[in-house]
Amino acid sequence: MSAIIVKDLVKRYGRFTAVQDVSFEVAPGQVTALLGPNGAGKTTTIEILEGFLAPSAGTVQVLGANPRTGGRAWRARIGLVLQTTSLDAQLTVSEALMMFGALYPKPRRIDEVLDLIDLASDARTRIGALSGGQRRRVDLGLAIIGQPEMLFLDEPTTGLDPEARRRLWSVIENLTAAGTTVLLTTHYLDEAQYLARRVIVLADGRVVADASPDELRAMGGVPSIRYRLPSSAPALPPTIGMHVAGNVLTMPSDDVTADLALLVGWARENDVDLTGLEVGPPSLEDAYLALIP
Amino acid sequence: MSEIALRVPKLPGPGSILASQLRYQLTLLGRNPRAIAAGLVLPGALLALERGSAQHITMAQAAPKIAGLVALSAVAIAFFTHANGLVVAREDGVLRRWHASPLPSWAYFAGRMMATMAVTAAAGLILVLVAVGMTGVHLTAHAVVGLLVVDMLAALALAAAGTAITTIIPSAQSAQPVLMLTYIPLIVLGGAFGAITSLPHWVNTAMTYLPVQPAIDAASSALQHGTIASGRDLAVLGGWVVGGLLVSFRFFAWDPHRPGHARPAEARTTLRSAK
Repeated sequence: MSAIIVKDLVKRYGRFTAVQDVSFEVAPGQVTALLGPNGAGKTTTIEILEGFLAPSAGTVQVLGANPRTGGRAWRARIGLVLQTTSLDAQLTVSEALMMFGALYPKPRRIDEVLDLIDLASDARTRIGALSGGQRRRVDLGLAIIGQPEMLFLDEPTTGLDPEARRRLWSVIENLTAAGTTVLLTTHYLDEAQYLARRVIVLADGRVVADASPDELRAMGGVPSIRYRLPSSAPALPPTIGMHVAGNVLTMPSDDVTADLALLVGWARENDVDLTGLEVGPPSLEDAYLALIP
Repeated sequence: MSEIALRVPKLPGPGSILASQLRYQLTLLGRNPRAIAAGLVLPGALLALERGSAQHITMAQAAPKIAGLVALSAVAIAFFTHANGLVVAREDGVLRRWHASPLPSWAYFAGRMMATMAVTAAAGLILVLVAVGMTGVHLTAHAVVGLLVVDMLAALALAAAGTAITTIIPSAQSAQPVLMLTYIPLIVLGGAFGAITSLPHWVNTAMTYLPVQPAIDAASSALQHGTIASGRDLAVLGGWVVGGLLVSFRFFAWDPHRPGHARPAEARTTLRSAK
């Protein structure tokens, strides 16, 4: 049975419709990313799945239960990282983990969670003294201390530096390897590409794509040639130059061999180094941008 | 029923959850300098200062002063600190975080109120020790126990009222002004610093129905006679407990307040991403 079943979901706020006829299922043990621009309905959808909001129409089931009526037993099987980190600044990291762990039937050991979130050396540090990235990791620690079957991550790495993001990715990878189902919303396409086996794209409250990252890239059209031009580069042939924006060439190509030959010929004539040249299917970003209005 | 739906874990029992919440709330209170200063240190300091200017003091003179400062401490901890802390926790999203966990709602409030009562009782005990040490008045065990019972009942009444009042406070910024507007008249007009004889009759009557004056009267009676003379005082406090809890049960919100003109979560997302 699917871990998440969403059927014909609708959510209205007065005359504003945030989510319209959204349907999807998430298999157990999968990482699924929910993408979309601001206002697409991602957070509304995930808050309905977390039980914070009631749908205006349609049905949702998470781990076989209605999130609004699942109760404590259901909440003990899910973990959440909300969009903003909200923790008691006066507690130490280990105190916060202990307080939350006391609510679950089979919590992980505190030292195990501290190792997973890489905060063992800050166990006795007050949360208020931690950096934003460290607090986010505490948040994740609170979400996983109960050994949830289902993890909701709402923009888990927003505002984190690249190193902190990578650390968090590593934690998520370890959790999914152990069988946890993850639904995450994110603005970072590289994050979706790295972590998710499946990507659902929302726009204006509707599902506009539901596929694996590679399938989504293939939806983006023909392969493209991508190259960042040096500042002193001479003018390109017109058929190539028309695809330059700023100093970046992004050129869709029906005939990669011919177009590359033209570009290489130009580079040889003008003694331009083509280091950094990329040729391949459209990036996930290109495919995503082609989908959203 | 699906295989997934059948896996129902056995959750921790109410006793262990309550113990954990009590510990959590006591930790927070203990690390709140304002609560410590206003609730524990200030009343004792005021009593010591007042004693410093007096020659000889009888129990009849000391009891209203001690009772008044016990009430001051209770209002500071169980009303102001409790309510302010709830609003801040709600607006910061901390309450939402708890509400998303398997924590039963009653356990959060029970833990919070029990911690408030415990700290208020500790403050009352400190005042008793200061009073005995500095005034030389003799207090029987009955008097001390009676005082602490009144103190804890007053704390519960004030905490219930404080929880109820958070339902009309929309933001952390407005918490302090709203609470100050209620806190100061409560303690001054209620007689925490001594009875004010020049008040209009209707104000005096109103004060007998608010939690501070009945608490002072009951505490004063306990100190002087070892008993609580007026069942009415206890009934008023009990009424505030019940009324406050009923209002809170009906209207309390776990989520941060959204202004009426604001769009839902998507709009907040937009504003954050635009920074």
